[in-house]
Amino acid sequence: MSLLDFARGPALQWSLGIFVVGVLWRLLGVLLLRTRKDLSEPRRDAAWKGLRLIALRSWPRKEFLGGTAFGEVLGYAFHIGFLLALFFYVPHVLFFADIARGLFGTDLHGLTGLNWPTLPNGVVTLLSAISIAALVAVLIHRIVSPVKRLISNFDDYFSWLVTIAPLATGMAAFAHLGGWPYERLLAVHLLSAELLLVWFPFGKLMHAFTIFVERGSTGMLFERKGASL
Amino acid sequence: MSSPLLGEFLRSRGVTRRDFLQFCTTTAALMGLSPALLPRVAAALEQARRPSVIWLPFQECTGCTESITRAHGSTLESLIFQGISLDYQHTLQAAAGEAAERARETAMQENWGRYLLIVDGSIPTGNKGFSTVAGRDNLSLLQHVAGGAAAIVALGSCAAFGGIPGANPNPTGAVAVSAVVKDKPIINVSGCPPIPVVITGVLTQYLTFGKLPELDALGRPRSFYGQTIHDRCYRRPFYERGQFADSFDDEGARQGWCLYKLGCRGPTTHNACATVKWNDGTSFPIEAGHGCIGCAEPGFWDKGGFYQPLSTGQWGSARTLGMAVGVGTALGVASAALARKRQKDAEDA
Amino acid sequence: MTGTTPTPREPDPLEFDQPRVSIRKPEHRFDSQGETPDASRVERAMNSFVRDFGRTAAVYMESCIHCGMCAEACHFYEVTQDPKYTPIWKLEPFKQAYKREYGPFAFVYRALNLKPKVTVDELQQWQHLLYDSCTVCGRCSLMCPMGIDIASLVSQARHGMFKAGLVPHELAAVTERARREGSPLGATPKVFADRCEWLSDEHEVEITIDKPRAEVLCAMSSIEIMKYPESVVATARIMRHVGADWTFRLDGYEATNFGLLTGDAAAQKELTLKIIHAAVACGASVVVLPECGHAYTALRWMGANMYGKPLPFKVMHIAEFLAEQVRAGKLRLRKLGKSATFHDPCQLVRRGGAIEAPREVLQALGVELREMYPTKGANWCCGGGGGVVAIHRADELRHKVFKIKMEQIEQTGAELPVTSCANCRQTFDDGQAHFKWDKTMHSLLELVADNLVEAEP
Ligand code: HEM
Ligand code: SF4
Ligand code: SF4
Ligand code: SF4
Ligand code: SF4
Repeated sequence: MSLLDFARGPALQWSLGIFVVGVLWRLLGVLLLRTRKDLSEPRRDAAWKGLRLIALRSWPRKEFLGGTAFGEVLGYAFHIGFLLALFFYVPHVLFFADIARGLFGTDLHGLTGLNWPTLPNGVVTLLSAISIAALVAVLIHRIVSPVKRLISNFDDYFSWLVTIAPLATGMAAFAHLGGWPYERLLAVHLLSAELLLVWFPFGKLMHAFTIFVERGSTGMLFERKGASL
Repeated sequence: MSSPLLGEFLRSRGVTRRDFLQFCTTTAALMGLSPALLPRVAAALEQARRPSVIWLPFQECTGCTESITRAHGSTLESLIFQGISLDYQHTLQAAAGEAAERARETAMQENWGRYLLIVDGSIPTGNKGFSTVAGRDNLSLLQHVAGGAAAIVALGSCAAFGGIPGANPNPTGAVAVSAVVKDKPIINVSGCPPIPVVITGVLTQYLTFGKLPELDALGRPRSFYGQTIHDRCYRRPFYERGQFADSFDDEGARQGWCLYKLGCRGPTTHNACATVKWNDGTSFPIEAGHGCIGCAEPGFWDKGGFYQPLSTGQWGSARTLGMAVGVGTALGVASAALARKRQKDAEDA
Repeated sequence: MTGTTPTPREPDPLEFDQPRVSIRKPEHRFDSQGETPDASRVERAMNSFVRDFGRTAAVYMESCIHCGMCAEACHFYEVTQDPKYTPIWKLEPFKQAYKREYGPFAFVYRALNLKPKVTVDELQQWQHLLYDSCTVCGRCSLMCPMGIDIASLVSQARHGMFKAGLVPHELAAVTERARREGSPLGATPKVFADRCEWLSDEHEVEITIDKPRAEVLCAMSSIEIMKYPESVVATARIMRHVGADWTFRLDGYEATNFGLLTGDAAAQKELTLKIIHAAVACGASVVVLPECGHAYTALRWMGANMYGKPLPFKVMHIAEFLAEQVRAGKLRLRKLGKSATFHDPCQLVRRGGAIEAPREVLQALGVELREMYPTKGANWCCGGGGGVVAIHRADELRHKVFKIKMEQIEQTGAELPVTSCANCRQTFDDGQAHFKWDKTMHSLLELVADNLVEAEP
């Protein structure tokens, strides 16, 4: 079996399986913990309005902006770049369409009812480059900022690595870098994405899911009290 | 056999200086040489001695030979091909049997260490009787002839990578030249078959500079195999816009949209089809409406159906995914239960 | 540096002649309590920490991405730029313990020892971070991009620290005293009764105590009783002014809850239940809490949960009560005609939600309100909450923090700094004395009481 076949076959299935198992395990493992009913008299009845914190916390209050804007902008740069490249690069879309076909017997259009748009390669290349640059800056920031350095652990560095890896290998494959046969580059790219899938549920990348739970529950908790969001 | 200079030979066949220079220009361009080098190419070619070439066909379908001899009836490429001193090619030569083998032995002795060996077809490593020439098995013949070769051109995907004889389940144990000969420079000119000008181009390059062209990781001349079909495909703009033909007779196919979804291997295939094209530059498969099947890449026959899109991943079935969901849920529920129990224990403590 | 409490030990003497009330600066600090062996200290801390855990806290623990932004919100980091004061770092041992003992992958972490067991040394080291340098002000909780309520986790961690017997000397001492005497700072029922009697004579105001049935039950904080007795008088005046059917009760007058600050859940519950039972006993429909931020958190937001069912009465902070009276037109106030600025007590405003009430009252006093920057929910903490002001060894750090406050207030150019928390107030008094500052913090309650326009008899 060639490396590419391995990446497309067993590695893909296993990583997807591990991803699904891990995400459910971790999410249910905390979401099914007990909750106590809050018996205090709410100040505001419509606690659900606190869900607005999910959107609200996407940018710091102006009072905090001074020290955090830099990190936020970098964060946005690599998240947007990453997500757009992930979901709107032509071969990716076709790849996902293939999942849909393989798993559910229908294409993306049938599955989501959407006409999945795609981005021109040039734009994706630019986005990936921005993402990579922002991620490098994020790493440097993590290393030079005393606060971030102190509170960082293996998870932070490894998650960084598995995030930048698919971007970097994707660019390398796109540019036929390094004189490697394209298929090996492609296989490495796939494998790096699979590494991301495998690591995802076990490290901090899980924030992509938990962030909504956290912001939502904090928002509702605070809204109930009329406290500042 | 005598070996006059190539220039003389061509002139004797009525090739004008103009045509010759035109050929040099095209070839140089194909090889990615700068125009400044043109006079050098021309001079070198003119002065080149007609090198002795021995061509050994093994497990092959003669497609490669067809490609080079038939496709370009009276072009310069074919003349160049004739220009070489083809001392042994049992499909083409008039002599047969003992006489042919003797001719080969003579040529080998006269040019020991200098002749060029062209191989088409793969070499069976299983039963020796699978393929023989004049009673001699392919493997030992190859090893014998390779011994005095200056370099070997593995012509076509079979010789270069094992090709169709080497495809699953490979009953003859077919292998590429490079799997057998380790001590000689090998140029893989892959393709099933390779494009004629690519063959002559490689020969030209070898004749001109007297050394091997720059090769890629798979031993193919970079000048012809440096880019993918996809890199130079005229349907590329459709790909970029996400416009794909979904079947061979839908509106997209009629509009000439990208064939990716119909299994085109262009993105992973390194060859010059999209620029050089076939049949005197008339067209190439994608232009004719069919995706590239990746014939110039190793193992192209074993990479899944030709009509499955390239991005195909084996995602498993909905059932395996369902199992993952089940396992994940079970683990999540169990770990939450365990945590609750620890909590209760702590409370009782 | 720290020792174990020799038992029995003389109760620490209290100190009332200083700008802040606390126990007298201990000659020898005893920052660990009881004679438990180290291993079982850790065990207890973790057990208690784990016991409190619910879904929300667990999700918080799962998903800090170590972005470090919370540091920007914390005044202790702001003034020192020392990374160890990063809010989430204050929870590091507990985060480790959570992953190891309780999270979904706990058994993997344990099996592979990926997160080492927390040691007693670490816990001891973290005492400084969890107590001396966190006022549980919740400013960081407003910053965290993940939406983690970091302050609530600090409170949980304090429960663990208490169980481990690793509470700073002063907090352990006052909590112990509160349980023993009914008041952390010596305001025993007898002292309170005596004070009320004396105040009543001195200020010619009727102070109702132990009325068998009353509509409104008032409570005071021990800081007020011992240091700002005018607040007791002010409460009585205002109640009379609005014509409330009210009383203090000697079985439930003390709203200060050091159990909450220390992390002693049992003490917290005991102290809270006293007020609840007193209110139930006199059939009160409203309990009016004093100018004390954490008393508000303790009863308003946690009381019913301690009681185990919804409270049969309303709980209001005095500022909310005053605002309600203003709205009802029952408070007739002299217009001050001065400029004022309001310091937001964290527990009342940011975390408690009573954001506008104190401002409405100031409006009614006719002051020109000059807001600080930042203000309301994002206002800087005074640096003394969460029990910090009681801890002597934290003074230096707290004074650094106080500079932020002085600067903020100076910038408004307002004549009167006003707040509505006695603990903030004593932190300001202490800061004022330390920096020889010319501004004195005022109590909203007292300002109102001093400016009542009484109807002609
Ligand atoms: C879909 C929703 C997602 C949301 C709302 C989200 C949100 C955030 C936020 C608010 C931060 C902190 C910003 C900062 O440190 O500058 C962050 C950090 C980070 N995110 Fe996401 N994220 C999402 C998905 C992802 C995904 C899919 C990945 C990668 C696979 C990812 C990788 C990271 C990494 C590596 C960091 C840490 C950067 C550092 O080292 O400081 N995120 N995310
Ligand atoms: S037809 Fe094939 S080679 Fe051409 S653009 Fe589409 S995928 Fe690429
Ligand atoms: S288009 Fe592809 S399959 Fe067709 S000849 Fe060229 S390389 Fe081979
Ligand atoms: S609660 Fe306040 S003092 Fe404590 S860490 Fe957060 S910002 Fe700092
Ligand atoms: S701001 Fe939130 S996510 Fe960032 S380090 Fe602090 S607690 Fe963690």
